Amino acid sequence: MKPSYQNSESGNGVQTRNLKPSYQNKGDLHSEITGRGNGVGFEIHRTFSATFRLMSSSHDDHLDKKEVADRVLDVIKSYPKVDPSKVTPDVHFQKDLGLDSLDSVEIVMALEEEFKLEIPDKEADKIDSLPLAIEYIYNHPMAS
Amino acid sequence: MGSAPTRSEVLSLFRSLLRTAREFSDYNVREYTKRRTVDAFRDNRRLSNQAEAAAAFAEGKSQLGVAKRQAVVYSLYAPKVKSIMEINHS
Repeated sequence: MKPSYQNSESGNGVQTRNLKPSYQNKGDLHSEITGRGNGVGFEIHRTFSATFRLMSSSHDDHLDKKEVADRVLDVIKSYPKVDPSKVTPDVHFQKDLGLDSLDSVEIVMALEEEFKLEIPDKEADKIDSLPLAIEYIYNHPMAS
Repeated sequence: MGSAPTRSEVLSLFRSLLRTAREFSDYNVREYTKRRTVDAFRDNRRLSNQAEAAAAFAEGKSQLGVAKRQAVVYSLYAPKVKSIMEINHS
């Protein structure tokens, strides 16, 4: 699992930037290091990394539901057998788009590639409509 | 001969073949595997004859074995240079 503070590219990367000014307060740091001994220096590091961790744990690692929905829609629309004009956010693969079960499997594979997931067969068989796909991917912790 | 495969078995085989295709390091072989499985499964969709369906399924399974072994062999000798099709277009 990659550490969450390296996640600055997804969502607001601003958080990691904000921490710099307080750290660069040279006066305080210098006095702490030359000062009273190990306890103080260690505490600076702990509070720094504690705030760091605090700010990054409040940052949502998950993808935005809208972003997931948009990307899923793009994948479905770029599937050659699908007519893009018929794709609505609650479309059913077999009933509305006239696809068959082989096409459903192909679409789920394309979604796996898009979001870098591995969907087990049992779950994949249940995904047969757009809202289900969005729901599954949104709830998956490893989606990216 | 053998009995016809069930629907879920067929879909499972289809999925396994596509997953194995992804493991290939060579772009051409990967695309071919994907294309060929899709074409083959689609052609054989209409087979209602039990014996024919069972034969096609057995053929599919042996091809899956071939693909898996070949994926390993290809990865041993994978070239460092990627195919032009895999380079992200700007």
